[in-house]
Amino acid sequence: MYEARVRLALGQPPTMQQAEAANVWSRLRALGIPLHITAQTEHILQRRPAVFATALLMHTRALQKGRYYLRRWARRLRDISFSPEDAIVLAYGSFGLDLQVQRVGVEAIVTNDVKLAANFTTRFNTIQEHFANMVSQLPEPYQELTLPIVVATAEVLAEE
Amino acid sequence: MERLIVNAEGKVVIPPEVIQRRGLRPGDELMLVEAAEGLLVYQGGSDPETAAWWNSLSEDERRLAEVEARRYAALTTEEQDVIWNEEMESIEAAAEGDEVEVPLNKRLA
Repeated sequence: MYEARVRLALGQPPTMQQAEAANVWSRLRALGIPLHITAQTEHILQRRPAVFATALLMHTRALQKGRYYLRRWARRLRDISFSPEDAIVLAYGSFGLDLQVQRVGVEAIVTNDVKLAANFTTRFNTIQEHFANMVSQLPEPYQELTLPIVVATAEVLAEE
Repeated sequence: MERLIVNAEGKVVIPPEVIQRRGLRPGDELMLVEAAEGLLVYQGGSDPETAAWWNSLSEDERRLAEVEARRYAALTTEEQDVIWNEEMESIEAAAEGDEVEVPLNKRLA
């Protein structure tokens, strides 16, 4: 998204990945679906030139790390063969806190990373089993949590 | 979603209402992408929201954007990656301590 805007400022068309991301952003925004970013992405954007970053920050809410559970889940995901970088993003999807509406987790994680989406889908049953096992040991409100789905940007655009 | 029919020459016709809605003109370039889900057609240029963002900028802001964009584009890919990987979050237990406590009396959505 950010780099698509950078390229536009240079008079260049977006790359295919950037076009995919920008089109997904537009579609989800048009549907009124709240969009979230991780706290890390928020911090990075806050340090980028405002002319590019402000609009992106304005239309997203940053998920915060929920105490104990987010990193614990990330470590379990790493044990199921996800990289630490992917594991933390997936963990935000399950245990990230939207403080504005007091909500934990998101319904879907959208990614340009086709391999991440495929890996999540392939290992879904194992992930689901580990997740159910973990949340069953947490205090009651957390026991109701469900896993988000992970979808590739192309899949979102292909949907009706 | 539109249903397109491939003719004997391998051509497809984009419905006129889509042409109009997307502002397509003769000679415009579209990208055909073979994805796992099938074939996707991308319109070249910016999506409506990115274009709207650009159109919302004043002349001064556009000049500033161009300066900043040139600065960013002058970085190597590795240097750009460094920007986006700043503050990479550790998943180790030792890093815990910056998390937010949720009031558990509230029902979580």
